[in-house]
Amino acid sequence: MKSFILKLGLFIAVLGVGSLRARALDGAVVIANSSVPADSLSADALKDIYTANTKYWDGGQSIIIAVMPDQTDAAIQQVSGMDANTFKTFWKRLMFSGRGKQPKSADDTASLVALVASTKGAIAIVPADATLSGVKKIEIK
Amino acid sequence: MINKYHAHKLVLSITASILAGCGAQAYEVALTGINTNLPSLDFHGFASQGLLASSQYNYLADNTKSGSLKFFEAGVNVAMDPFPHTHITAQGFMFDVGNVGQYDPVLDYGLIDYNINDAFNFRAGRIIRPEGIYNAIQSVDLARTSVILPQGLYDSRWRDFTASLDGGSVYGDIGLGKGGDLSYEIYAGMVNLAQNGGVARWLESSLNSPYTKYYGVNGFPEVGGQLWWNTPLEGFRVGVAGYQAFRFSYDYAAYNPFYPLNNHFAPLTGCVDATEGMLSLEYVRKNWTFQAENRIQYYDAHNESGGQTVGSHTYSTPEAYYVGAAYRFNKWFETGTYFTEAYTDLNKINGPTTYQSDWALSLRFDPKPWWVLKVEGHYNHGTGLLNDSFSNPPANQNGDGWFMLAVKTTFSF
Repeated sequence: MKSFILKLGLFIAVLGVGSLRARALDGAVVIANSSVPADSLSADALKDIYTANTKYWDGGQSIIIAVMPDQTDAAIQQVSGMDANTFKTFWKRLMFSGRGKQPKSADDTASLVALVASTKGAIAIVPADATLSGVKKIEIK
Repeated sequence: MINKYHAHKLVLSITASILAGCGAQAYEVALTGINTNLPSLDFHGFASQGLLASSQYNYLADNTKSGSLKFFEAGVNVAMDPFPHTHITAQGFMFDVGNVGQYDPVLDYGLIDYNINDAFNFRAGRIIRPEGIYNAIQSVDLARTSVILPQGLYDSRWRDFTASLDGGSVYGDIGLGKGGDLSYEIYAGMVNLAQNGGVARWLESSLNSPYTKYYGVNGFPEVGGQLWWNTPLEGFRVGVAGYQAFRFSYDYAAYNPFYPLNNHFAPLTGCVDATEGMLSLEYVRKNWTFQAENRIQYYDAHNESGGQTVGSHTYSTPEAYYVGAAYRFNKWFETGTYFTEAYTDLNKINGPTTYQSDWALSLRFDPKPWWVLKVEGHYNHGTGLLNDSFSNPPANQNGDGWFMLAVKTTFSF
């Protein structure tokens, strides 16, 4: 019985973690500029990028976050733990104190994909049904 | 020649025009035209104009009982990443709070930041000091709910003392697995004080007597650090910070009938070693933000004449804390409140000039992503933070409650 409860707990924990990760990218995918050296990221590594703990790709290229206000807010909240206003304020604080570069923004999905395609080191979260051109898809493990 | 006191209106007008004309986007200037492979420059900026009005005392500005517009700040920021792992950025800043700042342009920060890995990095140049939740962003009105931060911890007039220093820092973020992560920064350098900064004005006011003459303040070395623990509870962080300022000094003269020169005013140097510690708690959950901070300082002061100590050392222990909360209703409206108390010396609390408390209620409106408007009320007791005996004669100060209204609008790009 004790073993069963332990296994059940473990199963629920794994399911919970799995669904958390699935929710983080539910209906969205991560894309990056073709210059970005990474092809995949862990969920923690992605969070470190969106919370400014990681500011450079391997090799030293600057990470440029691109966002689409309103439309990517939910996905960014799931990744960073910050709602849209908190996220915006967080990056303004960093930028105006010389500690980071403010995310670039685009008005629609096509513009966001184009922005990522043309900006070295750029990363963005876009709707899963977005037409991707000139960018690479980053697998989240 | 442009009158300095009208310069801010010019800056505000230009900024507003740029914002209106260009949709408040940040500027990115490519350097390809000058035959270089350097990456583009990013420009951002802000300009704020405020109104201060108070019921009984002149606070922060010198004539707030009649309403004062001498409450202004503006900054322009430029950044680039010229090489791998390297970030260069600088911010020019000007402000005016009463008779402090006076629209003189200053280099807020100008630094080179080199990244080794997430856990270990360097900054060098004029760097912003990390201390608590707000010290590094005191100048950035749009990054907070309130107009006026709790003044016992973040005095608007003392920016030259608290905001930046010329030197360097090491910083980084260390993951703790399921324990969250630690972010740290340790710094050292020289603090440069302005002769029209808050410390200078306070000393000028304090030494305003027939028996003393104030001359000026001097820079001093300082070391310090900030440690944040981002706990496993999403949005909850705990911070500790501290610094040691070595021999902050100011020059003045005191009447001495036996001193033969200078009309019997003998030159003296006031010297202060300052130690500070701060504890910070912040919890951001959904639309709520909760904050609490406590700061305690220890001052060891003495006078010198010709390099020799005159008289005995004096000691004081100022302390201040606040607790606050803010709630965002939607994209364009947020409200917040805080209660704060400050004591000029924990060991000498004896009358209204030795403490000040403040209940603040703030309303923040964001009509556009580039435009913020705030209205805020304050109900104060005590006068320990007035720091201005010129416009607030000490004999007229009492413990009655008094009000202050602060209104501020900020444009940014």
